[in-house]
Amino acid sequence: MQILTIMLGVIVNIVIYLSFGSLLTRKKGGELQLGMSLVVGFFAYYSLFFVCCIPVMKMFRPLSLLTSIWVPVVAVIVLAALLLHGRAIGKAVVRAVEEIRRHPVLTLLLVLIVALQIVIVTTSYNFTLDASYYVAGVATNVETNMINVYDPFTGAWQDHFEMRYFFATYPVSDAVVCQLTGIPALIQTKSIMATVVILLTNLVYFMIAKLLFEGRNRESVWMLSFICLMNLLFITIYTPSLFLFTRTYEGKAIVGNLSVMTILYFFILLVKEKKPRMYWLLLFLVCFGSTTVSSTANMLIPAEVSMLFVPDIVFHKRFKELIPYAVCIMPGIILALAFMAYVKGYFVFYTYPVW
Amino acid sequence: MSVLNVAEKGLSYLRACLDLYSENCAFLVLFFVALLFLCVKGSKEEKRIFLPSAIVLLLTVYNPVTPVLLMRFFDVNSEYYRFFWITPVAILVPYVAVRLIVMQHSTAAMSLMALALILLFILSGNFLYANGYQAAENVYKMPPELMEVSALIHEDADAEYPKAFLEYEYNMQMRQYDPKILLTVDREEYLYATSSDYTEEMLADPDHPQYRLLGALIKYQEVDPDAFLEALEMTHTEYVVLSKANPMRAFLKQTGLKKIGETKEREIYKYDLKEPYTFELVDYSVVY
Repeated sequence: MQILTIMLGVIVNIVIYLSFGSLLTRKKGGELQLGMSLVVGFFAYYSLFFVCCIPVMKMFRPLSLLTSIWVPVVAVIVLAALLLHGRAIGKAVVRAVEEIRRHPVLTLLLVLIVALQIVIVTTSYNFTLDASYYVAGVATNVETNMINVYDPFTGAWQDHFEMRYFFATYPVSDAVVCQLTGIPALIQTKSIMATVVILLTNLVYFMIAKLLFEGRNRESVWMLSFICLMNLLFITIYTPSLFLFTRTYEGKAIVGNLSVMTILYFFILLVKEKKPRMYWLLLFLVCFGSTTVSSTANMLIPAEVSMLFVPDIVFHKRFKELIPYAVCIMPGIILALAFMAYVKGYFVFYTYPVW
Repeated sequence: MSVLNVAEKGLSYLRACLDLYSENCAFLVLFFVALLFLCVKGSKEEKRIFLPSAIVLLLTVYNPVTPVLLMRFFDVNSEYYRFFWITPVAILVPYVAVRLIVMQHSTAAMSLMALALILLFILSGNFLYANGYQAAENVYKMPPELMEVSALIHEDADAEYPKAFLEYEYNMQMRQYDPKILLTVDREEYLYATSSDYTEEMLADPDHPQYRLLGALIKYQEVDPDAFLEALEMTHTEYVVLSKANPMRAFLKQTGLKKIGETKEREIYKYDLKEPYTFELVDYSVVY
């Protein structure tokens, strides 16, 4: 029963991300790119969730209010996506099935690689300190029907919001799902979302491999195999590979793997194709969405975007692109500055009205 | 990376940080070898994708001056290593590996190259389960005994939110499973206790009675029984859970705590609060 719950949870997430993504990535009459829609949809989902969550949290309103706001928003977006792009999604799925039929051995290898990683993250026992904040935070929000007002470590009431985590609203969305469905926080975070993150991260790896190998499936699947092998072997307590397999439920594992890879994917895409305006918009959503997943993104995403795009823009004298580049790094920089101002004592958000 | 300090290490911080980050894994070295491969054999496009950004990385993230400069604005001591995450090791090394395989002219040569590369990868890393794989015992990924402890406490407690003192691992895990149990000690206080002893002043500190609990039950330091009970009273701690291997169980009995239950490896003790305490959630409905 619980395995079915996990599978259903994963499928629902994928349908939702695909819906969000299809509305952003597909132009009228064009084909839908399943992979890109899914990945962009993930970041768009958390970007929009952030917009809904922050006012509710800041005004110390209950989690149930956020749930009652968020569910209709998601329902409307899924319905709109089905109405506007249902046929395109169907066609994209049919194309994917045909592709699978043409390459049964490669598909089997690909499924085995991803399944191995899903088994690792869902069945292993890992004791990690940070879960005492992130997972307990989800459980605490559900139990208290409030958002980040109580200390996850002890359960005590806090007189102010901890700004290090205030803008990283990703765990709050887990709390919304738990409250809505009754799924325990541990299952939502350590099984459902961990599986989703493994699926999406491998999807992005595969999309990058397909770009680098000009669409050749055989080489792309081989590359995915080597990536999996490397991730299983590049293990110290600091590497993103370790975070991917043992701390998958943490926002920084998502930023260090999925976000970093998605930005690289868009960079390669921008180098290879000539549709800059749309890709810059999607890249912005990835950058913004990442900052809502973990505060680690506030320093990492501007650094990565700068490392990739600045030399390319300068060497190829495409100085007009400095504007979208600046827009992409802005969310991270603004939130980093906000945190600095908080640390220096310039402001504090109390968990009670201050008149 | 809390063991490293930019102010102490100065320009050698980066090297020390990289040593800790990589330990005996050679994938960062393989990354730079892969870059050299692209310099020699790469197409114009491959060079454009990977080389300029790698040069920028070398000049910034991998420059020993950068952490020292950054430290003037941010505290990067414990988190500088995360900048290494933007190095596309997970893409470039496997990509070049596959490029090397497909460069071979026969199936036999391709297979040999693949085997050699797999071996190189294995020799270059630490396997995720080098120290063994531990399967989760249930879908919650929690020790079954922790779940038993939670049930026993609620069975005994009158309050909806009983407060407990737990040993390190259970303290870090309990509220992930059961947010109805309040904890006496928070994470930072526990981290201190795992690495340092308490001074006499700390044990007598009236503002931090939990130091006495940690000093006695975790550090096995001598604490006056009355002062210990006072600390339980001040922190509203009703339950103390200790493993059967903890030598301080005798001390708990000596102070008058009652054993109210046990699991295979743990015992649960109860302290009767002199002034009953009921934790209640704040009623925010009065605000609006």
